[in-house]
Amino acid sequence: MQRHDVVVVGAGLAGQRAALAAAQAGADVALVSKLHPLRSHSGAAQGGINAAVGAEDSVETHIYDTVKGSDYLGDQDAIEFFCQSAGPTVVEMEHFGTIFSRGEDGSLARRAFGGAGFPRTIYAADRTGLALLQAIYEHLGGVPVTTYEEWFLLSIVVRDGRVQGIVALDRRTGAVEGIAAKAVVIATGPAGRVYGRTTNAHSCTGDGIAAAYRAGAYLKDMEFVQFHPTALLESGILITEGARGEGGYLKNRLGERFMSKYAPHVLELASRDVVSRAIVTEVNAGNGFPGGYVTLELMHLGREKVESRLQEICDFSRSFAGIDPVTQPIPVMPAQHYMMGGVGTNIRGETNLRGLYAAGEAACVSIHGANRLGGNSLLETLVFGKQAGTAAAAYAKDAPDAAVTPADVDRETAALHALEDRKDGESPQRIRADLQQTMDSRVGIYRNPDDLHRALVEVRALQARWRAVRVEDRSSTYNIDLTDALEVGHLLDLAEVIAVGAIARTESRGAHTRVDFPKRDDQNWMRHTMARRTPEGPELSYAPVAYTRWEPKERVY
Amino acid sequence: MFAEEKLIPVPFDVYRFDPAQGGEPRYQHYELKLAPHTPVLSGLLKIRDEVDPTLALRYSCRSAICGSCAMLVNSKSRLACRTPVGPEVAKHGRVVIDPMRNQPVLRDLVVDQRGFWSNYRRIEPRLLLDPSRPMPEGRPTQMTPAQVDRFRETPRCIACASCYSACPAVEADPEFPGPMALAKLYRFVVDPRDGAHDERLRKVQLSGLWLCLRCHLCTEACPKDVRPSERIRDLKELAVRSQGATERGSRHAVGFLENIAEAGQLNEMKLVRQTDGLVGTVGQLGQGLRLARKKPELLKKPRTIDGVEEVRKLYEALQKDEEVPL
Repeated sequence: MQRHDVVVVGAGLAGQRAALAAAQAGADVALVSKLHPLRSHSGAAQGGINAAVGAEDSVETHIYDTVKGSDYLGDQDAIEFFCQSAGPTVVEMEHFGTIFSRGEDGSLARRAFGGAGFPRTIYAADRTGLALLQAIYEHLGGVPVTTYEEWFLLSIVVRDGRVQGIVALDRRTGAVEGIAAKAVVIATGPAGRVYGRTTNAHSCTGDGIAAAYRAGAYLKDMEFVQFHPTALLESGILITEGARGEGGYLKNRLGERFMSKYAPHVLELASRDVVSRAIVTEVNAGNGFPGGYVTLELMHLGREKVESRLQEICDFSRSFAGIDPVTQPIPVMPAQHYMMGGVGTNIRGETNLRGLYAAGEAACVSIHGANRLGGNSLLETLVFGKQAGTAAAAYAKDAPDAAVTPADVDRETAALHALEDRKDGESPQRIRADLQQTMDSRVGIYRNPDDLHRALVEVRALQARWRAVRVEDRSSTYNIDLTDALEVGHLLDLAEVIAVGAIARTESRGAHTRVDFPKRDDQNWMRHTMARRTPEGPELSYAPVAYTRWEPKERVY
Repeated sequence: MFAEEKLIPVPFDVYRFDPAQGGEPRYQHYELKLAPHTPVLSGLLKIRDEVDPTLALRYSCRSAICGSCAMLVNSKSRLACRTPVGPEVAKHGRVVIDPMRNQPVLRDLVVDQRGFWSNYRRIEPRLLLDPSRPMPEGRPTQMTPAQVDRFRETPRCIACASCYSACPAVEADPEFPGPMALAKLYRFVVDPRDGAHDERLRKVQLSGLWLCLRCHLCTEACPKDVRPSERIRDLKELAVRSQGATERGSRHAVGFLENIAEAGQLNEMKLVRQTDGLVGTVGQLGQGLRLARKKPELLKKPRTIDGVEEVRKLYEALQKDEEVPL
């Protein structure tokens, strides 16, 4: 059995930042990830990272924009801390070696983003996530951290009222091993693959969120799912909000910049929930192009600007859609993009379980509330990754020794064997396809009670089918059939929480739009959904929203 | 946009091998019907989802940014997610899939990348600060767009190892760090924040830089247009300029250049001496004599060609144009 003070699960930006912070605090740190760290989905973030560093901008405005963007579900104390940390975080990443784009005067270049009062999104062309991921990985290379590359999390061990470590599968050898740790930080990213039409990587299956939920942690605000307005029509590949920030237009079949009807002041740069709803409304009203889509136009920006600031977008559009954005409109439709919800934490990354921490998209502090602003997620990974790593190391310093027992390991080994020994049963891939079909068609942008209830019934039927899932592959080496089955199990748990939360929340707020309750209801619903696992399914309770200075107002863009 | 495309038959032949299970590597045949613009990765995932879940491969983002799904598509190192099947079928009649080269196969299309990553770590891929030049307190460093341009295409690298797979020097010589590692090194050597430029250039001259064969297969294989071979060329120039010619490869290159500038053609005897020094040349005497017996003119000092002035002018002009800014 391996043993460390702090085990960080997930090696994207949040995980690596947590590992760095914990190591700098003197802890013996392990970083466990099912992918090589540089393959993490943080690298796919395109547009940028927010920090109010411009002369005309202010931290105060960043806070206000984030509170408003959250549709008043974000915790204002956390948002204040978050925005105040933005400048130092960006400076630190620059010092770690991030290659940001620059203005003529040598300062960090900034672009406009949706829902923001000023251009405050600092970027590296249209691959900001990759630039940050490379820099933190490089920096972490000079710090003593033990890395378990391509290890898959099976469970979080909790005993005596506190975390004892994890059990994980070495994908290369098929070995199941315990890693004892006084503190565990979950930074495994989102569960976007609950949906079929998603910008998320195939690996975004919520493994850490599900493991935390199974271990007894509260999941918070899971019904709030962000749909990015502009994803490529067929593949769902992301086209950054930066494309609109640089001046791109959204147009319908009639050639109208239809956002003037929905956000007369800022048009295409309204926040994402607003733009996604507008696109779906247009298409449903018959104003979409045949096949049901709208277009994103960049042609008027000129070749130079498009090719220099949106290099990846040019590449994606050309190779994945056969479109040259310099000369042609890009067909787009919204796609699942981000989960505002996650493992519930406070500002230090602490969960309700002693020794368990979470950060990044896997966590919910909450700073995004009901809708995240573009440019705030990269910032969140770094600010709260550091918080969680620091807190985990401090806790581990005084915590009693932790132990993962042979019985803990045997339980997981037996569960894997049960999957592999089954003679008949369904393939995990079949179940996954049906789950994605359900979530795409019934738990999307506009939600009605019939569909939500049916979705829940279907998800529960899929859970029953999953209990008889069959893994055909018998190999101990890179058995993806096996990890597929485990991932689908995670997705099913989380889909259930999303559906239950969405049924219960009888209002429309941010990304959660109930057609039968079209108004925000601050009286009854300005509160966080907290879901705890029981044998009968998720049990919901509610927690107050922390608010300091910003009274809820109607959101107009 | 891709018009409504007709599905075409796509025959896949996929390399299968599981050393843990024993047996020999083999190709497994799958027949799919796909639209021509369908990425190879989508085809492989369709095989996994609908036909054969035992096929092992790495993949994640499916949008050419995570670098997971590099493999050989009809013998070329490619990202499966951004290689459409249509042109492959049109050209080769089928889609033959193999694991990447220069990395041992762990299973099917999954290769052991530990060698690739350890070569990358050899170049010390992180900013090394000069203590006399600390980062500005509480604010970012200033860097002009021109300074950012000096990174060239290297920030686009996604470490997919396509270049490493395509590189014959990697195959031939374990000393050679590979195209990705050297492109990464270049990225640090031109970074104004880094404080170890000279030390990096000194080390790399002695650890394989000159083993590059200049075949440009890495640049051909790179899905992100990083152009590693050009960055290797730049590194060579920077290394010689910073350190002088300190080992065989660079001495050979510099000697070559001097020969041509002097006479307009090579002086083979002199070049050997320039490359290997007096002692090294003695070791090559046997071979030299055998050569001289066949081509006695090699022993004579070559005459200076007519128009050598022109050659020198060309050199000067080229040096001005091509100089790597630092």
